[in-house]
Amino acid sequence: MQEFKLPDLGEGMHEAEVVQWLIKPGDTIKLDQTMVKVETDKAIVEIPSPVAGRVAEIRVQDGQVARVGDVLVVFETPANGDGSKPSTSAGAAGVPAAVQASTSSAAPQTTAAKQRVLAAPAVRKLAFELGVDLEQVRPSQPNGRVTIEDVRAYAEQAKVASSQPASPALPAERKETVQPAPQLIAPAAQKPEQPIQDERQPLTGLRKRIAEHMERSWHIIPHATAFDEVDGEALASLREALKPAAEKRGVRLTYIPLLIKLLVPLLKEFPSFNASLDDERREIIFKRSYHIGIATASPEGLLVPVLRNADRLTLLEIASNVERLVEGARKRTLSLPELSGSTFTLNNVGSFGGSSGTPIINHPEVAILAVGRLQDKAVVQQGAVIARPMMPLALSFDHRVIDGAMAGAFLARFKELVENPQQLMLDMV
Amino acid sequence: MVVGDVTTAVDVLVLGAGPGGYVAAIRAAQLGRHVTLVDPGPPGGTCLHQGCIPLKALLSATERLQQTRQEELAAMGIHAENVSFDWAKMQAWKQSVVDRLVEGVRRLVAGNRIEYVHGTGWFMNAQEARVEGEHGSHRFKFEHCIIATGAGAAPVPGLSYDGKQVLTPEQALILPELPAALDIAGDDYIALELATLFARVGVKVKLFSPGEHLLDGVDPAALRLLQAGLRKQGVQMTSKAAIESVTGRPLVISGGICPRTSGLHLDAVGVEVSSSGGIVVNAMQQSSVPHIYAVGDCTGGRALAGIAIKQAKVAAEALTGQRVQFAPLVTPLVVHTTPELATVGYTAEEAAHAGYSIVTGRFPLGANGRALTLGADNGAALLVANADDSVLLGATLVGPRAGDLIEQAALAIEMGATLTDLSEILYAHPGLSETLLEGAEDALGKAVHILAKG
Repeated sequence: MQEFKLPDLGEGMHEAEVVQWLIKPGDTIKLDQTMVKVETDKAIVEIPSPVAGRVAEIRVQDGQVARVGDVLVVFETPANGDGSKPSTSAGAAGVPAAVQASTSSAAPQTTAAKQRVLAAPAVRKLAFELGVDLEQVRPSQPNGRVTIEDVRAYAEQAKVASSQPASPALPAERKETVQPAPQLIAPAAQKPEQPIQDERQPLTGLRKRIAEHMERSWHIIPHATAFDEVDGEALASLREALKPAAEKRGVRLTYIPLLIKLLVPLLKEFPSFNASLDDERREIIFKRSYHIGIATASPEGLLVPVLRNADRLTLLEIASNVERLVEGARKRTLSLPELSGSTFTLNNVGSFGGSSGTPIINHPEVAILAVGRLQDKAVVQQGAVIARPMMPLALSFDHRVIDGAMAGAFLARFKELVENPQQLMLDMV
Repeated sequence: MVVGDVTTAVDVLVLGAGPGGYVAAIRAAQLGRHVTLVDPGPPGGTCLHQGCIPLKALLSATERLQQTRQEELAAMGIHAENVSFDWAKMQAWKQSVVDRLVEGVRRLVAGNRIEYVHGTGWFMNAQEARVEGEHGSHRFKFEHCIIATGAGAAPVPGLSYDGKQVLTPEQALILPELPAALDIAGDDYIALELATLFARVGVKVKLFSPGEHLLDGVDPAALRLLQAGLRKQGVQMTSKAAIESVTGRPLVISGGICPRTSGLHLDAVGVEVSSSGGIVVNAMQQSSVPHIYAVGDCTGGRALAGIAIKQAKVAAEALTGQRVQFAPLVTPLVVHTTPELATVGYTAEEAAHAGYSIVTGRFPLGANGRALTLGADNGAALLVANADDSVLLGATLVGPRAGDLIEQAALAIEMGATLTDLSEILYAHPGLSETLLEGAEDALGKAVHILAKG
């Protein structure tokens, strides 16, 4: 038997949700054949098979969350095909079965010391009865001990998540002990009318990550938002001028690359905005790299692909990279490095259809700029009301690091650059 | 009317009435099933009639005999002179113990309204079995079947068990007369217990182990204590000795067991059997035919009655629709030698190999008050725990009543107890259990009754 454990797929990743198995027990699998799609914090990753052999057992089913190091699947490789003794030997071998189960036949892993799931025999019995994999249960006890209540809660949750029982290999008479369906209808004394049942959906996958991320950001960062409007005519005409040339080189030029190009010198000028706060050590970290996150809508929810080293890219390079990243985010094909490590985030609210909004900072960053849709608006200039193409700006900032005055100065400078984009030439290498 | 044509319909048919079979039958009956239990002999199986119980009875009788000869008695002011013993009477006493237990099981079987059929059963098809007994042949149509036919001594090429020159362990226990010398081939707990038993009654015992070590998987330090004990009783030990090289007779061979499945016609039903003859089962004790279960030695696992008993309950509960599995974390092993040895869970070496970083604790019996008052200072408690969270992973006990004390460690491991848990609870003083306490505290670096290392 060879076990495959969920590998560390990237920085800071501790768990992943199994989205879909492309193999099933009994299948013969080739080396490097794609076997499973897992969803990490941000990306859907396809994992290839590390061996050629037969799939013996899938331990983490579709929709379940696995932690790094959890056994996802067990293979029978040609070398051990005959050794597939059923689990009677587990206890009989005189060594802890749970321990045995998570020990690969290869040499023991040296990276992290092993730990068993702490659960008393009665808890393990209940877990098996309810079809709960103890490894998946988050222990409520601080010492990592799984209790009867934890198992019941997990099973309850799983029942809500899917109405289908997730436990195969039930004996034929299982149906005898199936509990009667819970009574949703009140006793006869009440109105016969059925109450309307709200639909409840567990937070899973990307939605869960977004929720956790937003919660964390909102919880930690004292948000403040500064608003302004910028005249976008110069920017629009610059785009119009460059667009055909870019198209000739196969790149579609949108406002985003232009805005990024304008943003980078600004971040250099205002290093406090390209920073993060080390909450534990109470230190501000000024970032020397300029990785720009681009808030992007995907069918499953918000994703922030990252344009790395934006300061070293030409406008054309930025444009083609942004195009690739946004497309990748929509298709969920981006790798983890392309989805993490941004130092400042740009949110093109306009592309989502809104005119403006108050963005939530992408923690641990300290600021986020939302850019609204370019729209003709009535503006007073030299005492006269005239129509100008205006672009709303909303800058949310971490008030622990940045003050309102700094935010105001940042926005003012940004306006100046957007309204006079030719200024870029001054600093161009 | 021909008897063989009568078909009896039963809910559960249990083949074999050893500790696996009769426990499965009782549990199924407790759950409201109509059960028929089939065995050619009285209930109890190998364990009760030929194996565990007779062996332990003789071991405890001979232990008493041995104690009368110890010099320690004189030191205690006891003069036991002219002590003699009668092997035949010892055998009769052993039989009385067996008989009493068999009677107890018989009553339990009857009290649970289980029909007991003397005979040998085999499968006609997946729903029916035929039982051939002294009163003719019966056909049983069953809803579920539990196979618990046990195992017999594995045959050794070139030798046949005649019960006189070449013996199985069971045959050795019913020798009508004691030989002057006895050779024993084997390295398992049975071989060691037989060596102990016969050495205590003055038989010159030579023990030949096929490999380098006795008792595979036992902590080497504990093993040394046990071997010293055997040597003290005059047992000569030779390692790396092939059975063919053992020429002395009579010879007892404890060389493994072979599942009793060949006569069951399992192929006719499609029940899968491994290359060693064991019935292949899943964790719920189901064979490849879902309504046929198998428990105990006939599955080819480790031949321990404790395993069979638990598997029997799992099978009986599973067939009534309960979702249960056989999944103990650890299996205790007890060896009734002098000193007694008991072990559960990982040894230090096994735990390290499994990827744990470990801490170990050791406490010698010589520093335990109760051990000294028992006149037994030869032994130790060895504990292995996970270094990270100090959860107990294994324990090895050597000394008096180790076999009874080991269940404390088994419970601790199953409950996920830590070294601190073991050191926080109270222990009756003086008591042998305190060796577990001190072993745990030694692992924590604070054992009171030994001086800290270094």
